[in-house]
Amino acid sequence: MSSITVFSAQTILTMDPSRPRATHVAVRDGRILAVGGADCADQWGEVTHDDSLKDTVLMPGFVEGHAHMMAGAMWTFAYAGYHDRIDPDGKLHKGMTDIEAVVARLSAQAAALPPGAPLIGWGFDPIFLSSERLNRHHLDRIAADRPVAIMFSNFHLMCVNSAALAMAGYGRDTNAEGVVKGADGEPTGELQEMAAMFPVMRRVGMDFRGLSQTASSIRAYADVCRLAGVTTVTDLFSTMEEEDLGTALAATGADDFCLRIVPALGAIGGSPDEIAAKARRLAARATDKLRLGAVKLMTDGSIQGWTARVKWPGYVGGQPNGIWNTPPETIFALCEAMQREGIQMHIHVNGDEASDVSLAALEAAARKHPWPDARHVLQHCQMMGPDQFRRAAALGACTNIFANHIWYFGDQHVALTIGEDRASRMDAVRSALDEGVRVAIHSDAPVTPMAPLFTAWAAVNRRTMSGRCLGPEQRITVEEALRLITLGAAYTLKLDAEIGSIETGKRADFAILGADPTMVDPAHLKDVPVLGTVFGGRLNLS
Amino acid sequence: MTPLPMTVISGYLGAGKTTLVNRLLAEDHGLRLMILVNDFGAINIDADLLQSRTEDTIALQNGCVCCTMGADLFMALGDALDRRPRPDHLVVEASGVADPASIARAAIAEPEMSYAGIVTLVDGLNAPGLLADDLIAAQVGQQISAADLVLVTKTDRIDPGLGGHFARLKARGPRVLDDGPLAPLLFGTIPLPKGPQPAAHPAYAAWSHESARQVSRAALVDKLSARPEGLYRLKGFVLTDDGGCEVQVVGRYVEARRAETDRTRLVGLGPADRVSRDQIEAWWSA
Repeated sequence: MSSITVFSAQTILTMDPSRPRATHVAVRDGRILAVGGADCADQWGEVTHDDSLKDTVLMPGFVEGHAHMMAGAMWTFAYAGYHDRIDPDGKLHKGMTDIEAVVARLSAQAAALPPGAPLIGWGFDPIFLSSERLNRHHLDRIAADRPVAIMFSNFHLMCVNSAALAMAGYGRDTNAEGVVKGADGEPTGELQEMAAMFPVMRRVGMDFRGLSQTASSIRAYADVCRLAGVTTVTDLFSTMEEEDLGTALAATGADDFCLRIVPALGAIGGSPDEIAAKARRLAARATDKLRLGAVKLMTDGSIQGWTARVKWPGYVGGQPNGIWNTPPETIFALCEAMQREGIQMHIHVNGDEASDVSLAALEAAARKHPWPDARHVLQHCQMMGPDQFRRAAALGACTNIFANHIWYFGDQHVALTIGEDRASRMDAVRSALDEGVRVAIHSDAPVTPMAPLFTAWAAVNRRTMSGRCLGPEQRITVEEALRLITLGAAYTLKLDAEIGSIETGKRADFAILGADPTMVDPAHLKDVPVLGTVFGGRLNLS
Repeated sequence: MTPLPMTVISGYLGAGKTTLVNRLLAEDHGLRLMILVNDFGAINIDADLLQSRTEDTIALQNGCVCCTMGADLFMALGDALDRRPRPDHLVVEASGVADPASIARAAIAEPEMSYAGIVTLVDGLNAPGLLADDLIAAQVGQQISAADLVLVTKTDRIDPGLGGHFARLKARGPRVLDDGPLAPLLFGTIPLPKGPQPAAHPAYAAWSHESARQVSRAALVDKLSARPEGLYRLKGFVLTDDGGCEVQVVGRYVEARRAETDRTRLVGLGPADRVSRDQIEAWWSA
């Protein structure tokens, strides 16, 4: 006979409409046996009371429906970003709001490295800094005797020091596009796009491919999730090969690994049928904590990079329309094949033309191969309006909306990309809910930090970094937002029967909070402390 | 170590990239090729050439084909450079929507590589429709504009509508892909003059020059920019009043860098229907 543990809490927000609040939850065999008061499980036999969480607030473990495994292993490199971030060990890294701060922080990190070892940084974002451009002279002050390379947050630019330039043979005579030169004819240290960055990346060992496939990366991801209260997370554009599976199965299979990962295989590198076959082979190896089987389609680029495909009237600066990373006819072919094979798709759509084409592809696939609960998910959905949300609702497609963008890039979207009017209706969670679409909201970590309560705060307040409220009509309530980061996201992963609410029969996955998020000022929702998680009934405190 | 030359094969879906790759593998060029493809699906390997096959690599008598399978293409370039023995020539099949220049520029930036051209294939039947489609015209057009050599497939003549697009896009030397061997053009397998020159295939106009004549450095720059458009490849060394100079021309790409040489030695090649030996000679001797 398995043991029964009854956890007590100050409050349990269940997300179960039949019992929205409780004080106790009973757990047996990693699942929720009963919810209610202290006696909720007495019918089931002898119980053990665990009051270690009695002063906390429990919610269903948060579900992050759009993030990337790299969010953990990025911390192998030195953080150089503008915003505060918390590393997998829980340490706060204050944002660096000017170049001097970057130089000071990275100098200290360089001093701790073995002689000659490269210092690699990430997360620098010049869009937030109005001073001069980062150049090799700044980085030479960090270290002159070792290569220093800082990848910008958009992954399209980097800046390197003189030692790194020399390693790649870059100098006055270099005549390669992307190796930026100053008025003196010397490289400034800024390298634009992969072709120019590649010679340095190769020589300093900056390998982003390796960041997702090692056991330590997977554990670091679990640490990031625990700190955010997340018990189920995606890895949306997995490049997992069948030979990587052993590592992932072993790492996630450990008893003390307290996270469920839902990878979605990147749909490239083969015909639609080959990709479908690969997804099926992966699905056959799935476990509770490694839910393989879905695929991820890329369509367009990003709005802040002016590479998203946007409809008329385009970008305010007159930039040409963006690019397709997958041509429209291939989007149609992939949608048809996956629909036919019964494989769920997550489809990246930033611009409204990309969401338009993707909806058309889903509509065509649905006519050929009806599948009423396919639950394909449009991801980001940043420029979708009520018209497109209605089409998604009619298809039964979900929308996972990039709510964090309002804070991180909202001001830039007003000033530089799509302008005031369309920026104020970006990431339109209110419209999506009103049109009856199934919705989740996300961080796209490491693009923005993983923190579902922050994401909920962003959707509730729509504050930008300049402090304004961008598009107040699109705000949602705290209750709605909390639902989106739990049951809403679980639905998009077809896991709503197992997780997303605290009700009998579901997995005992909880977020442990230091305050009741429905009782705090909505403006402070993001500041509710996350103390850890319970995963399958197992305490996993930070 | 000799820099690894890289040629990028570009073109929208269905333009014939894989067919071209199959042809390059089958040609008798004597080179050890490494070919990076997106998809093994349609790669057609002669059983006599096949040595072994895994999920992402096909090993051949004359090289190998590697499927990048969605892995970072640039990391695959790094793997190619780290391979021993290093292949003689790297061919990258770009995706149907890739900007080939964004890949080919790596060969200019990377000291261990050399630029060996962008070949863009254009489906002669479908391209006019694509170039009129707002959804995709810009990306298809960019592939044509970036090319050093535009080869038209699936037709035996370029229709005037497509010709108009080519003019607007400043397409370099567009011609119908014929049955002639491609290795001499794409891989520059004609050696520098040192003795008797091997006869080029009749599909190509081959020219060579050897002398001790010195030209002024400034005149060389002007001369290179005035080269016949049909001259696809030019390589070798030139004596100038400012020292020796190594010259590499591939289509629209020109590179001239300081190098030791005691004589001017050049070899040039272009499709015979675009340029003649006499035209090249007249240009150089002018």
